[in-house]
Amino acid sequence: MSPDVVVTGFGVRTVFGSGADAVRDGVFGGHPAFAPITRFDTGAYRTKMAAAAGQPEPLREVLYGCAEAATAMAGLPAGDTAVLVGTAGDFTGLTRFWRDNESPDVADTVPARQAELLADRLELRGGRMAFTNACVASASAITHACRLIAGGRAESALCAGGYLVEEENLAKFDSGFALSGKGEVRPFSADRSGLLLGDGAAAVVLESAGHARRRGARVLGAVTGWGAASDAYHVARPHPEGAGLAAAVRQALRRAGTPVDYVNAHGTATRHNDPAEARGLRAVFGADAIPVSSTKGVTGHLLEASGVVEFVITLLALADGVLPPTAGFTEPDPECDLDCVPNRPRRAELRRALTVNAAFGGANTALVLERA
Amino acid sequence: MISATADASAPGVPGFVESAFGPLVYQAAQRCLSTRPGDGARTAVVLASRMGDATTLDLGSRRLVAGQVHNPLLFMQSTANAILGHISRDFGITGPLLSLSTMDDIGTELRATARLLFEDGELDRVLLIGVELAGTARTAAACRELHTEPPATDSAFAILVEQNEDTKP
Repeated sequence: MSPDVVVTGFGVRTVFGSGADAVRDGVFGGHPAFAPITRFDTGAYRTKMAAAAGQPEPLREVLYGCAEAATAMAGLPAGDTAVLVGTAGDFTGLTRFWRDNESPDVADTVPARQAELLADRLELRGGRMAFTNACVASASAITHACRLIAGGRAESALCAGGYLVEEENLAKFDSGFALSGKGEVRPFSADRSGLLLGDGAAAVVLESAGHARRRGARVLGAVTGWGAASDAYHVARPHPEGAGLAAAVRQALRRAGTPVDYVNAHGTATRHNDPAEARGLRAVFGADAIPVSSTKGVTGHLLEASGVVEFVITLLALADGVLPPTAGFTEPDPECDLDCVPNRPRRAELRRALTVNAAFGGANTALVLERA
Repeated sequence: MISATADASAPGVPGFVESAFGPLVYQAAQRCLSTRPGDGARTAVVLASRMGDATTLDLGSRRLVAGQVHNPLLFMQSTANAILGHISRDFGITGPLLSLSTMDDIGTELRATARLLFEDGELDRVLLIGVELAGTARTAAACRELHTEPPATDSAFAILVEQNEDTKP
């Protein structure tokens, strides 16, 4: 067991707005927020919907807003904190460069630059790095921070991740037939038809329990287990039995040394992901009817931000004793045999929870959180 | 420890057709993993690249602004997960797959990450891969803004580090 990594601050932004109350209203309320995309022309694409509000903003500013909120909540001063960010860089700058043959902020397209900007603006002088492994990127950043802190190599880390809906990824997912054409996302449902993209960013402050205690920081929860494993199966599809996911979860549970009461699933609502994930979770938990929900039915898929935003959602579930629902659920799929908390939040006595993510290429992560 | 570099002879990798990134990474990895096979369940792969596969990423963006439909064969290939997934499948690697972007020295970051991974106690080997492409007009512009020099050529290296080896730079 690794009881030494604690959470002392977070900042979060989704389509519902910024802060914990916006997550409580939108995500825990189970209110899907998918609407026609207005920030660019979607005429060329089959899918024209996303969970994205308003006009595009620079990713660096959205990340900074979350990071500033997280460090303020933690009361974390400038210093030797590491900055680890899950991001592929700012794609709007990429499009602008090729459209206009220039871009005043072309360096923002470089993933590592996002971590550097964040660290410089917050005067955090520990190591800084970006994780670019797609949908497990920010979960990998959190895992890396846990290793740094548990190993005594760092006292504190700011872990962040961000993705804002833009045309480059819409075009890619649209070409890959991964997007729902129905304007809705139905994780684990028999009639699920694919994912929709969503705006999301979050930042969390992790530190050693001793560091938090010495600073007098309020502890919001602990990260007691982490795991990562791969499928060795296919470039784009998950292992049909969820083998890598199950291995990551087993590692995390082994490290935590305790059972969990809830799982925040990756749950993309694609044909291949959901049954694979369900089988992987069943392989670990057996016939135990542990509640499992996917919040992508309201937030959309947040790509590199998924891990850290869902980490915050899981932290709030533990704090409030409420399971966020799987919104958009219509009818059970025998291939996804889970207690998936359909459509309505559920009160529960929670002590520990697991959050899992998966990415194409077969990468999987698992994190165990414990209530403060 | 075994190390290898990729070179201009890097053969194509099925599906990775538009950029040297995937073939270079694959060749460097293969040269290490074929020389010293091991337990894939206790092997991790960590790839570091400041700019990533800019060739594929920028090709997709150029097609987009030209009004062309995105090529589904390039779906997500600009992300390193694609070639890492290919390597993990071919060599039966089921440990963690990581890809990083850093403004600092790639070799230093890779070795530091390997040390951390070993501390979990789940691994015997970590394959470290560094890769950088000469780049595109966009990455050249980014380098100017960042006051750094773009690489002169496409290159990749791999180092297979084993537990208990000295992983200091």
